[in-house]
Formats: sequence, C-alpha cells, structure tokens
Amino acid sequence: MRLPAGVIVAAFAAALTGCKASPPGKIETATVTFAKHHIFIRNKSQKNPLEPNAATWADGKEAFSHYCVACHGMDGQNTGVPFADHISPPIPSLASDEVQRYSDGQLKEILDNGIWPSGMPGSKGTLSDDELWAIVVFIRHLPPAGSQGIPEMYNH
Amino acid sequence: MKRNVTLMGTLIAGLVASCFAGYVVKAQGAPRQVEITAKRFAYAPGEITLKKGQPVVLVIKSEDVAHGLRFRELNLNAKVDKGGSAQLSFTPDRTGDFVGHCSVFCGSGHGAMTLTLHVVE
Repeated sequence: MRLPAGVIVAAFAAALTGCKASPPGKIETATVTFAKHHIFIRNKSQKNPLEPNAATWADGKEAFSHYCVACHGMDGQNTGVPFADHISPPIPSLASDEVQRYSDGQLKEILDNGIWPSGMPGSKGTLSDDELWAIVVFIRHLPPAGSQGIPEMYNH
Repeated sequence: MKRNVTLMGTLIAGLVASCFAGYVVKAQGAPRQVEITAKRFAYAPGEITLKKGQPVVLVIKSEDVAHGLRFRELNLNAKVDKGGSAQLSFTPDRTGDFVGHCSVFCGSGHGAMTLTLHVVE
C-alpha cells in the first residue's frame, strides 16, 4: 500500500512540531507537576541525616557551585543563566513553590537520579551522599535572588 | 660533706630519670604514619585499620589533580593541591568504621571516592 505524499509530509511536519522546544501550556504543566510530586518522584519519607546549620549550608553551597550553577545560577534562582527560559520545560527557580513542596527525601531522589525527560541529570556518584544532602539544606535556605552574582562561565 | 654527696647523687639520678621518662613517654606517643595516595577516583589503600588511642598521621599524596579527604564524623578535613601532599594528625577516640570522602571536586567519580577507617580496641 502506498501512502499519499501529503500524508507523509504531514506526518513529518507533526513530528518536527513535536520536537520544537516550546514552553508547555498551563494544563500540561499542572499535569506533569502533579505526576512528579505524587507518582514519579519517590523517596518522600526519607529524612535528611544532616543538621541544617550554617556549616552544612556552606557545604551545600560549595557542592552546588561545582556544576549545578550552570543551569540554576549561584542563587538557585536562575540568575544569569541565559537559556533558563528557552528550554522545554523551562528551568524552575529552586525557590518556587513547585520545588519547595517536594520533601527532603524527594529532593535527594531528584539530585541522585535526575528527572526524565527534563534536562535535570542525576548526580549520584559524581557528588557524595554527604554533599547531596548538604545541597538539600542549601535549597531549603536559598540566598536572596541575585545576591550571589552570576556564574563565572557566563561572565565572559 | 657526705650529706652533700648524697644530695648531689639524688639530683643527678633525678635528672637522668626525668630525661629517660621523657624519652619513654615520647616513644610511646610517637604517632603511626600511614601514607595514602589519591588518584581519580580512589585512595590507595582504600581501607585502614587503626587502634583506638594510638596517635596517627595520615599523609595524603595526590598523583593527579587536587583532592581532599574529609571524615565528617571525626571533624577532620585535609585538602591536597594538584600533585602535592597534606597531613591529617589525630588520635581515634572511639571504635567503629568511618567513611571519608574526597572533599575537593575532582570530576565525574568524585562522589564515589572514599576511604574507610576501621578503628579497633
């Protein structure tokens, strides 16, 4: 059976449209956010073994600075990240309600394994458990937006 | 005269004894030295057994990039420059297994770079 050329062209066009990195709509965002919080991101009940004190926060800030800043900025709020709004899904501010509503265990799960199909990679093995839990403390107490400057890699 | 000689003898004996005592204490307290090499992404040796109460010096040498060695539970941290060395001096005061991690980001396997101390009685 031969497919008409018009059908083939339409199928290609539809496929390419699907590849376009356009921002998700409200319904898509709400659905995916619900699914992530309640279905896909496990480990809800695990507690952070580290005390949330100034020393742990400083450890978390340092660990965060290794490469998280490339996408999340020095402040975790995308300051100075030139592509934060141009990828799909957009990079959320870590101070946002969407992120802060995760439990500590879920944040650790995301740091360990990333979130598919977003661009968030897992860091298990690249950073130690200690460092990842310290990052959770840092995320819970982010500095004011813009207060940390912009990542060095975007300074040139 | 005899009394003076006795006094002098006692003083000399005391002086000699105190010198030897110092030597003995120093010999007993001499720290054990353990050499560790750090190289992406492992320490060698990866496990060390120590005695509780015995002073130790861990000499960490980097064979490539900058590394570190941190034992959070023991409040110990050393940072080693690229190709350099650093020391951690301490006396284990409790038994157990303590896992140290590289404390200077050194690449993709940094998070799995560990060294375990077994502290025994």
